[in-house]
Amino acid sequence: MRFNTYEFMIAYRFLLNGRSQTVLIILGIAVGVAVQVFLISLMDGLQRNLIQRTIGSSPHITIAPPLSAPQPLGIGGGVIDDYQKPLKTEESEILSWQRYGEHLAGIKEITVAAPMVNGNGYIEKGRSSFPVIIKGITLPEADVIYKLKKNLVNGDLRPGGNNVLIGVASSEKSGLQTGDTFYLRNQKGTGDYFIIQGIFDLGASAANNMVVMSLDRARTFLDITGISAIEIQVHDVFAADGLAKELGENFGQVKAESWQERNKELLSGLRAQDTSSAMIQFFVLLSITLGIASVLAIIAIQKSRQLGILKAMGTNDKSAARIFIIQGFSMGFAGALVGILLGLGLTELFMFGTKSSGGPTYELKITLTNILLPAVLAAASASVAAFVPARRAAGLNPMEVIRNG
Amino acid sequence: MDEIIVLEQVNKFYGDEVVVQVLFDIDLSIKSGQFTAFIGPSGSGKSTLLNIIGLLEAPTSGKVSLDGQDISGLNKGEQASYRNEKIGFIFQFHYLLPEFTALENILIPHWIGKGKPPQEIVGRAMYLMERIGIEQYGGKYPHQLSGGQQQRVAIARSLINQPKIIFADEPTGNLDSKTSGMVMELLKEIVRENKTNLVMVTHDRDIAAGADRVIEIVDGRINCDFTAGRMGREKVRQELEHMACTFSSADDA
Repeated sequence: MRFNTYEFMIAYRFLLNGRSQTVLIILGIAVGVAVQVFLISLMDGLQRNLIQRTIGSSPHITIAPPLSAPQPLGIGGGVIDDYQKPLKTEESEILSWQRYGEHLAGIKEITVAAPMVNGNGYIEKGRSSFPVIIKGITLPEADVIYKLKKNLVNGDLRPGGNNVLIGVASSEKSGLQTGDTFYLRNQKGTGDYFIIQGIFDLGASAANNMVVMSLDRARTFLDITGISAIEIQVHDVFAADGLAKELGENFGQVKAESWQERNKELLSGLRAQDTSSAMIQFFVLLSITLGIASVLAIIAIQKSRQLGILKAMGTNDKSAARIFIIQGFSMGFAGALVGILLGLGLTELFMFGTKSSGGPTYELKITLTNILLPAVLAAASASVAAFVPARRAAGLNPMEVIRNG
Repeated sequence: MDEIIVLEQVNKFYGDEVVVQVLFDIDLSIKSGQFTAFIGPSGSGKSTLLNIIGLLEAPTSGKVSLDGQDISGLNKGEQASYRNEKIGFIFQFHYLLPEFTALENILIPHWIGKGKPPQEIVGRAMYLMERIGIEQYGGKYPHQLSGGQQQRVAIARSLINQPKIIFADEPTGNLDSKTSGMVMELLKEIVRENKTNLVMVTHDRDIAAGADRVIEIVDGRINCDFTAGRMGREKVRQELEHMACTFSSADDA
């Protein structure tokens, strides 16, 4: 499609001539785009906030031994088949974790990979016992994931030997404070005395029922030869799923589970939200398209006399159609520009409002995509809408106009 | 080129279910350098004939040649560019584009065909405006001009691309008689100066009397065909007087 300069000139004169009509439709598009920019930013911000709260202080991918009984490992020809045995060693713990660690260290997307030892135990106090989760960690890796230092209520973060940290929930239940010594029993019935070095509050009740000690101490305490899991955080949380699959396939004997798998309900909730916001966007776009189509159809009728003259003077059908496509696109483009500004203003106002009223502060996510997508869609649908009057303009017979005055 | 317009066996039918024949086997040839007037009552088919010659409508059958070129086979796009290059139109209701100034209106045919007009073409537009006495109105919009002024802008516009033929459909139809006479004189002069051909549909006896050739169309056929040169203008005028009924019925339209 080759545009001629006069088509632009005529299109703009037509638009300028029907100034109030043009301004109204541009405003209409602008409001539509603004609503979309705001809505998308709001949804995006909300979702990111929710995800951050859910998984910000937890691993994005957990590499753990498979829960099911391991399959026999094929090790060679038929003679040896009889000797195949279940590979017990990787059954309930990861023995060769340093090897995995080396592999993981080479993957760019991974921010941190921390070896962990998990187990159950009981804090014994007098006649009562309180169930806790025992977690053995290495620093600084584990702190990247759990942000223990940031979330310390008191004490400090130096687990080592029999010095441990306990969650705020365990501390409240048992009445233990920083500096106290307590007896911790493992599931096998043996136990030891530990000293509380600090108390943390991670915001979730399960996490606040933990007793955190050094990895090595936890291994001996829980009688684990290897480790229980490798916990991983990644740069892009949404890439965790794919990476987990990849790791699972690479490693074979252990399974890699992403946060998405563990939070299916959250995700389906988010997806429902996505669907509803997509629907809102669709209907906003539809109304923009219909609005422009109807206004341009009116312009096409209003200008049929001019089109007749232009055609008599040698404007061909394609040119006549393009005059309307240009009008549609121009209004869409102008509307999108104004809409972006309005949408950004609205978003800023919203953030300012929530901050100053002390309400829940989550950052609305203003990304280039969030802004450009609705704008491009609006401009595109405006151009599409223009096809209706454009076809009319193309089909107009100059004689009708000239005859009928 | 001796013959500017040649029509051979041109027929025109309208309608799909109820078919009406508007033109019947028209054979016509018009010499170059003439002012030809078509007259006839309303519904006689004269405007249809003019539209066919002007490539605004296609004949149902027959052959039309303009300036030696058979135009019957042109497609819509080719017709549009042919109109742009070779034909200038002047209509009864002036039909200027209200969104554009007088000067811009004059330049639009060039703009459609060849894009932004160079200084030379703008100069030509200025000359034409000066020649027809509207040079001071170049920046005015059509609604700021009188009917006669608008029609003069239309004349200048029809000439900008130096067309072979100017088609004028009742160019003075809604002008008062004094303005009408002025516009006609101007049109004839400028057509002569530009060495182009003028073909006109008119109801006005006086205007028809000023033509080199008068062709009367009645019921889709050529009824009378006078050439002023052969008969003398007075004779033409007398003949036209006898067709008073034709004119009065046309004037009612």
